[in-house]
Amino acid sequence: MSLTLAPILFNGLVFGLLLFMLSSGLTLIFGMMGVLNLSHASFYMLGAYLAYTISVGLGFWVGLVVAPVLVGLIGAVVQRYGLRAVHRYGHMAELLFTFALALVIGEVVPLIWGRNPVRYQVPHVLDFPLFQLGGTDIPAYRVFMMAVSLGMFVALFTALARTRLGLVVRAALTHPDMVSMLGHDVPRVFTSVFGAGCALAGLAGVIGGNAFTTQPGMAASLGGIVFAVVVMGGLGSIWGAFVASVLIGLLQTASISLDLPFGRLLGLPPAGSDGLLADLWSLTVARAAPAVPYLLLVLVLAFRPRGLFGSRNA
Amino acid sequence: MSMTVQHGMLPLERRQAALRAALPWVLVALAAFVAPFLLSSGFGLSLLCRMGIAIVFALSFNMLLGQGGMLDFGHAVLLGFGGFAAMHAMRAAGAGLWIPAPLLPLFGAAGGLLAALLGGWVAARRHETAFAMITLGLAELASAAVLMFPSLFGGEEGITGDRSDGPALFGLGFGRQWNVYFLIATWAFGCSFLMWRYTATPLGRLANAVRDDDQRVSFLGYDPARVRFLVFLLSGLFAGIAGGLQALNDEIVTSTNVSSEASGAVLLMTFIGGVGTFWGPVLGAILVTFLQIALSTMTDAWQLYDGLLFLAAVVWAPGGLSGIILAHTPLLRAGRGAALVGPYAAQLPGLALALAGVVWLAELGFRLQAVRNGAPAGLLLGMTARPHEIWQWAIGVALLLAGATLLHRFWPRAKMAWQAQMAATIAA
Amino acid sequence: MSAAATIPVLEVSGAGLSSPDGAVAALAIRDLRKSFGPTAIIKGVTLEVAVGERHAVIGPNGAGKSTFFHLVSGRLRPDAGQILLNGADVTGLAPHVISRRGLSRSFQVTALFGRMSVFENLRVAAMQALGVGYDFIRPIASRAKLNARAEEMLELTGLAARRHVAAGALAYADQRALEIGVAVAGNASIVLLDEPTAGMSHAETDRAVSLIRRVTAGRTLVMIEHDLGVVFDLADRISVLADGQVIASGLPAAVRADPAVRVAYLGTAADTLS
Repeated sequence: MSLTLAPILFNGLVFGLLLFMLSSGLTLIFGMMGVLNLSHASFYMLGAYLAYTISVGLGFWVGLVVAPVLVGLIGAVVQRYGLRAVHRYGHMAELLFTFALALVIGEVVPLIWGRNPVRYQVPHVLDFPLFQLGGTDIPAYRVFMMAVSLGMFVALFTALARTRLGLVVRAALTHPDMVSMLGHDVPRVFTSVFGAGCALAGLAGVIGGNAFTTQPGMAASLGGIVFAVVVMGGLGSIWGAFVASVLIGLLQTASISLDLPFGRLLGLPPAGSDGLLADLWSLTVARAAPAVPYLLLVLVLAFRPRGLFGSRNA
Repeated sequence: MSMTVQHGMLPLERRQAALRAALPWVLVALAAFVAPFLLSSGFGLSLLCRMGIAIVFALSFNMLLGQGGMLDFGHAVLLGFGGFAAMHAMRAAGAGLWIPAPLLPLFGAAGGLLAALLGGWVAARRHETAFAMITLGLAELASAAVLMFPSLFGGEEGITGDRSDGPALFGLGFGRQWNVYFLIATWAFGCSFLMWRYTATPLGRLANAVRDDDQRVSFLGYDPARVRFLVFLLSGLFAGIAGGLQALNDEIVTSTNVSSEASGAVLLMTFIGGVGTFWGPVLGAILVTFLQIALSTMTDAWQLYDGLLFLAAVVWAPGGLSGIILAHTPLLRAGRGAALVGPYAAQLPGLALALAGVVWLAELGFRLQAVRNGAPAGLLLGMTARPHEIWQWAIGVALLLAGATLLHRFWPRAKMAWQAQMAATIAA
Repeated sequence: MSAAATIPVLEVSGAGLSSPDGAVAALAIRDLRKSFGPTAIIKGVTLEVAVGERHAVIGPNGAGKSTFFHLVSGRLRPDAGQILLNGADVTGLAPHVISRRGLSRSFQVTALFGRMSVFENLRVAAMQALGVGYDFIRPIASRAKLNARAEEMLELTGLAARRHVAAGALAYADQRALEIGVAVAGNASIVLLDEPTAGMSHAETDRAVSLIRRVTAGRTLVMIEHDLGVVFDLADRISVLADGQVIASGLPAAVRADPAVRVAYLGTAADTLS
């Protein structure tokens, strides 16, 4: 067990950092505008598909730069011409708008790229095992993913700490009602932050799409986890999102590799061959794991709406 | 939701008001009775059955969204649990237990109520975005649980039953779709009436108040979380009945009955019909059920059209169909409708072009997929589709742009015309 | 160390207004405290309001007046201290429980049921006092007493002509009148009004004052108010809240004359009091 723990930890960390790329943007957007963007993971999917298309013609590296920018622009347009228009109908309308948008993107993507996974591949130069960890090969690409995530992490914090926009964003997070008094063009700031958040999600799609699979279901399967992350981290809290991302990343990766029935894991005798107890006994950890983030999402929202690390109420 | 019985009235006025309130119900009952004679084909009858189920489901959804301000992203969980409960009852009836088919929806009600008890216990504590997120999480949990316990939910295949296995009540058998329709129609009518009646009770009004300002409600001596919880329970009860009717109609219940697609469908229906009136969801249920069944037989892109319709409604018609109707009834009553015919008709070319553009692009996309999978591209509006040729895409874009330009140009006129007539009506 | 000990509090007994011998105060607050993070907003407030008294709470912006109302009405939970309602401890209870004990309040920022009609707003507000529960069986229209009470409130607030209008579509002054109507429709024995005349014109303020006088007759009233004209017109007693503490409390004349009030609250603009 101890030998295989190292690669699980490593892969969990890589996944966690990828989650943070999505959750940081989502939590920033919520913190500033009070809009929970239900289509956030769809922008992750768009990033992956656009990067795939670009990589076919121009190679992975062009896609790495261009795809996030494109996704960011699409996000900005969506905010400017969609979200801003429904804002006057209230938060519920904004929530519904992002929900409907996720539905539409989820149908447009298979329309353009098909219902089957596309062959979006890891670039050749990074397609080799870099080193071994606990007897498992660690692909160079995973290390690259980690480097990109950490680089983005540093860039984001520097931008928040050093730039004027970052200042406005931080002010807005702590005093949401005060932004308009800062003398800034608030709608423009909102559009920028929404676009930037989408671009980050797009970047996650670019580097995650080929490490996992680029297929139409990828938004739905990751979306729930990302919502759970930002809720656990405390909506609007960047640090909370970071801690929760890494935690959930580790938890997911570890539990998925545990293909053991609960009954055996707990050392219980088999509970017959039929019925609820038997179902529970033979339920594997790996099968139950995808439901865990949702359980956390529900429990945190119902009983600790500040999140585990945040300070503000949802 | 509007008040139908006023106060401080004389007995005669009150009786007249009661008659006016009863008239729509009489008409609905008549329509429900006549409909199967007009649409007596197998397809028509099954369409009507689905509509009846969808009406109950959408009305139960709007108890939450429109009347209580609760956006439930997992409403199909309540429907599905009702369905599973009714299906188990149907199987028990097949095994010899005395449960006549007409009573199966009661088991659905119990299943929906149970699911609402569990879900409402956590979700009703919060409102607005947090409530919506909790229901989103609960929906995912329920979907996972349904697949995790195959002994209860039948796994991927679901569970099946035979509605004609049970004992007959008053000699009524339910092998025929015709009989099933009248069973569904009776239940749907009864449930709709009860849900309407509920809106005029103290809890119904408290739900409206909680929707508008839940904090203020707490300073009036009522616990808003308790209001939400009770409304959620009632909604679950009716959604469960819809699930029971669905089980009765389909004779199979699977994990798709609790899926997020099913939850999205009821949201679509209710929103398209309009959340601001009691009867809006009824309209939406009828229209969207028809659209979905008609479109899904015509095109692979129907889910995209559904999504686009929803998106368009959120942006341009947040009041749905009933909102549009309500915005025009005072004008029509005042006889000012004629002035709007021209400006509205001027929108038709733009609307038609834009719609044609969207359909063209979507269908071309699906032809592209077909070609990639080695199937023939087929025809598109009478032409041979050539999805690999850029000019065919250009046609779609051109149609869309032309339509959008026309709408952009002429829409303000329609809006101004409406405003002018409305102002004149109010002044008069 | 309570604030009362460090700051000289005026205790002028209002003849005929303070509680008769042995009678409990309508509202008694002892050493109430509340902080948000490191910032203390309410730093030990002690206050008594006699039954039937009209009590005004005044003070500069940021003195903690609204926070004080939030604590008393249960919207916020105090860190320390005690709130007694007609002698019963209600500290830390939920708003709806406090409301059922006979305390109601209005809001500085209008908090009505925007999509419900004026009549429905008043009817919902009157339900609790008439013993209506979370009933989903019996139609609301069949409750004669409730409807009569709502009608009565319509007349009292002068909104009878607008009974079918959605509250959100009312003119501002009408919304403020309805806000007061909703606060008193439930027959609460103690009514807290948070800046009932804020944002009103002179004529509207006059109307609001006479409305407040009408609807709070026979009740205990505590109001936050900035318009000192309104305060001296309506209030039997006045408390001055500054920097989270009561620096003076007593009859209007005494408060007006108090030098501490002039310094702490009015600063250089002391002449506005005279």
